Amino acid sequence: MEAVRRYGGLTQVELAEATGLSTATVSTIVKELTGAGVVETHPASRSGRRAQMVTLARRLGVVGAVQFGRRHLTVALGDPTREILAEQRMPLPVDHRVDTGLDRAALLVVELLERVGASTDELLTVGVALPAPVDQDTGMIAVQGVMRGWDGIHVGQVLSKRLARPVVVDNDANLAALAEHELGATRTHRDSIFVRASHGTGAGIVLGGRLHRGYAGTAGEIGHVQVDPSGPICRCGNRGCLETVVGSEALLALVRSSHGELTLRDLVQGAVDGDPGCRRVVADAGDRIGSVVAALATTLNPQAIVVGGELAETGDVLLGPFRESLRRHLVPNTIAPVEVLASELGPRAEILGALALALSATDMAADGLTVASSPSIEGDPT
Amino acid sequence: MNAAPSQPALALHGIDKSFGAVQALTGVELEIHRHEVVALVGDNGAGKSTLAKIIAGVLVPDAGIVESEGVPVTIPSPTAAHALGIATVFQDLALCDNLDVVSNLYLGRELRRGRGLDEATMEETARRVLADLNARVPSVRVPVSTLSGGQRQSVAIARTLLGDPRVVVLDEPTAALSVAQSAEVLSHILRLRDMGHAVILISHNMTDVRAVADRVEVLRHGRNNGSFSGQGSSYEEIIAAITGATTVAGRSPVPAGARGRTAR
Repeated sequence: MEAVRRYGGLTQVELAEATGLSTATVSTIVKELTGAGVVETHPASRSGRRAQMVTLARRLGVVGAVQFGRRHLTVALGDPTREILAEQRMPLPVDHRVDTGLDRAALLVVELLERVGASTDELLTVGVALPAPVDQDTGMIAVQGVMRGWDGIHVGQVLSKRLARPVVVDNDANLAALAEHELGATRTHRDSIFVRASHGTGAGIVLGGRLHRGYAGTAGEIGHVQVDPSGPICRCGNRGCLETVVGSEALLALVRSSHGELTLRDLVQGAVDGDPGCRRVVADAGDRIGSVVAALATTLNPQAIVVGGELAETGDVLLGPFRESLRRHLVPNTIAPVEVLASELGPRAEILGALALALSATDMAADGLTVASSPSIEGDPT
Repeated sequence: MNAAPSQPALALHGIDKSFGAVQALTGVELEIHRHEVVALVGDNGAGKSTLAKIIAGVLVPDAGIVESEGVPVTIPSPTAAHALGIATVFQDLALCDNLDVVSNLYLGRELRRGRGLDEATMEETARRVLADLNARVPSVRVPVSTLSGGQRQSVAIARTLLGDPRVVVLDEPTAALSVAQSAEVLSHILRLRDMGHAVILISHNMTDVRAVADRVEVLRHGRNNGSFSGQGSSYEEIIAAITGATTVAGRSPVPAGARGRTAR
């Protein structure tokens, strides 16, 4: 199963190679799984010989998910049971261009469809996660300057024109909150906050089991809460925002004189490996983020706060000071103190949230297996 | 961490190379540390491939000093480069289409056991190296001709890793690949960096270069024309240096006779 998921689709002979099992065993397993409706086989040919192509079963089409980060693009395909069928990550430059990015995202969706052996007709909808607040009514970035060069671009419209499918766009922290709520750490919680500590800092808020985006999509933008009135000017135009203190540029500037030119991944790896300088930088960021989240949590009184994003991969290096800061700044609630949880979905939270958003935009029931569906907007496949 | 290791993994100083009347490289400087990706960019004929061939031991410079971990060395042949821990993947990949992945990885340096080949160990190591790269090559026993462009590139990069090199040189690794395949190769480059290798990336694609490079070195008409941080500099700055809109202060302008006539 894992092998089929990793390669998207492969023939029975390749499957035997990839798993180290005999072809006879693979054939038996594939027959059993086909009987159970988990995988499908299609006739194919490899180097002129007939072969059986094995892919995960797709009964009701596939949905696409696209995540733009500050330094990467991830595209995934999933089925209505929220199973990821294929996934590809691509590194991107600092301040990547909107035209190149959207073009690559569209091409990657099409190439992944080919990889899993699906036709473009089977694609239902695409969900997109952006590292910026998104206004749900217009589908545009709600705050100017947060993503350089992306202002005024209707991301959903551009992509849906390319793919001839409906495209829904939301903020990455919101989508991660949605994914953790539906599949991850806060499955059993009604009210929760997801804090995303990565290149930028943001939060997604789930109230009463529903995502709270705010009137124009900027709810939970903790990265733009002022923490230093005399601090530097932020991308958003205000002064001394949290992001100017704990954003990747600020964190990396702190270690430049001692460690040289690092990337955020180097910093996280350094903290994991026990480098004292890197640990200190991440720990102080946890403390600072905690104080801002405390204000949000005092206002909203959630049951749980989930911490994700790249910095959270350092585990307690970030979470320890974060918890301590919350404890000091949060109104003490003796009956039900707020729980602080690590993200269960980790780096996949955003992409799973984008899949969930895309699914919710189809007219398919939540379990995905009972109701047949068709795309809500028909378009010519290009 | 590139916590300022004192000696660069490889340093080239004052490299000159001419082909007859054509001066391909003039006083070129290049340093690369472990755990670093340095991109070498420039126009056609700027000398990128010539420099790569000098590092790979295919060409010998007319003048200049090459240092490996601070020790002066000469690289008279590809075998010498291999011995110094320098592995190069050229544009044509140099794979044998009719042979399978394992045979390609071990071409010319097959492991032997007694009289025969140690197929089991070779296959196991091949799988491990491909897994280290997170490469999507389903079977190591299929002929390379059946693989996609991206998978072939993965095999070529994996082959360089067998000798556990310190420096990996990649010449135009994403040229002629689809977006998904380029994504795969760029991810491999970051993986190589994480594994502590020094990577020299030669590419025309500014988006790819800025996505993975820690430092961008511009060559123009066989001379250094600027060094940029991969994270801090813009497309415009780098492109201005490539096209000659900006020149490095203190260097004499390119003589008119040398324009557009450099050899590869």
